[in-house]
Amino acid sequence: MWIWIILAIVVVLLVIFVIATYNKLVRSNVAVDEAFAQIEVQLKRRSDLIPNLVNTVKGYAAHESGTFEKVTEARAVGEKANGVAEVAAADGMLTQALRGLLAVAEAYPDLKASANFLSLQEELSATENKIAFARQYYNDAVRTINTLIVSIPTNLFAGMAKVTKREFYEVPNEADRNAPTVTF
Amino acid sequence: MAVSFKAEQSSNRRKTWFLLGAMFIAVVALVWAAGTLLNFNAYLLVPIAVGISLIGVWTSYWKSDSLVLAMTQARVISHEDAPQLYNLVEEVCIAAGLPMPKVAIVQDPAPNAFATGRDPDHAVIAFTTGILEKMDREQLQGVAAHEMAHVGNRDTLVMAVAATTAGLLAILADMGARMAFFSRRDNDSNPIAVVVSLVIIILAPIAALLLRAAISRKREALADATAVQFTRNPTGLRRALETLAADNTVVQQKSTAVAHVWIESPLDGKSKSMFDTHPPLADRIALLRQMEGAPPAAE
Repeated sequence: MWIWIILAIVVVLLVIFVIATYNKLVRSNVAVDEAFAQIEVQLKRRSDLIPNLVNTVKGYAAHESGTFEKVTEARAVGEKANGVAEVAAADGMLTQALRGLLAVAEAYPDLKASANFLSLQEELSATENKIAFARQYYNDAVRTINTLIVSIPTNLFAGMAKVTKREFYEVPNEADRNAPTVTF
Repeated sequence: MAVSFKAEQSSNRRKTWFLLGAMFIAVVALVWAAGTLLNFNAYLLVPIAVGISLIGVWTSYWKSDSLVLAMTQARVISHEDAPQLYNLVEEVCIAAGLPMPKVAIVQDPAPNAFATGRDPDHAVIAFTTGILEKMDREQLQGVAAHEMAHVGNRDTLVMAVAATTAGLLAILADMGARMAFFSRRDNDSNPIAVVVSLVIIILAPIAALLLRAAISRKREALADATAVQFTRNPTGLRRALETLAADNTVVQQKSTAVAHVWIESPLDGKSKSMFDTHPPLADRIALLRQMEGAPPAAE
């Protein structure tokens, strides 16, 4: 009689444990997708800021066409990018191009003083910060799921939950990890 | 010696549980003391005392967002009112993976900030006009991260539990003292037990206040560490606290009801006291310096 009760308790505890582990894996996996979606939202926002920014700078420095082309090109690449590695590469390229654009702006005091440019600059640097934080949050989420997949006992359930290792978001150029510094 | 925010977080979480446990033990001791004094089962008093304490604390917990906003006369703002402030709160939310709270501004020349609300979906974080004037973007980001850390760590809830338990102890001690005064005692009770019980009844409410203050200090230290987890930049918050330390203006609202919610306590004196709701600014700055990997500043 007692044996059966103890056995039943053990089985119930085991089932609860399996469900909890399974759910943890699924939740952590969804968190990675959500974190990536957040990066894309912020990249889209930066992409939307660019035409306005380019036009504002053009008004003061029309002959710097090479810089504008680079930015526009990088933006086009970014809008077509798919998958973590591609998006990250395009992100790095655009960050680089924008840095060039802001460096150009440095040479034009009238531009730097214009209210329109200042507010665009704040929006851009805020978006760059958001991208950097979204990236950090995403990589933390990837680290969590990748650790779960190789740790005991969660590794036993990874197959059942159809969870596999995820890809880190790595910006190719080391210097691009930090958002361009915009001074106020 | 570098200190990691992770080690700081787990140490402060552990200490919070330890202190809440100590409060629970105080309740048990108090019930025992009342029982010994009165020769009756004082556990019967607990549900009544819990009820009274809950009513007082939990309505203010549930409505904390609107109550604190009304008490401090904070004005909720949108992106258009203060783009930079709004942006940097959004940044921290993304880093924290938390929903965007209401952002408010308090008309007050003293630099300070607070967070409240019963859960992350009802959170409010407010900044005084003074802090917005005196701090640059990096510092404000550190402050916003500290406040969002309070939101993420559910500190309104933790402090509501602590306040409820402290209230419970005060009510129980009061009941015990009154009943002991009016009841006729049998002569067979042990005199040592009676003396110990009296001491417990007198000291328990004071112990509750001390424990509550200690929990508040641990949650502040935890929020500093969690802020570093969000921004990975101890420098911003450290510089912000240095500005607060250098500033002598104090928030006009010195009400005890909202004192614990500010980033820098408007009530704590310059000297260290066991009743302080915040750790000394100098200690917090020194700890953040260690997280930066730099040696503490020589003074």
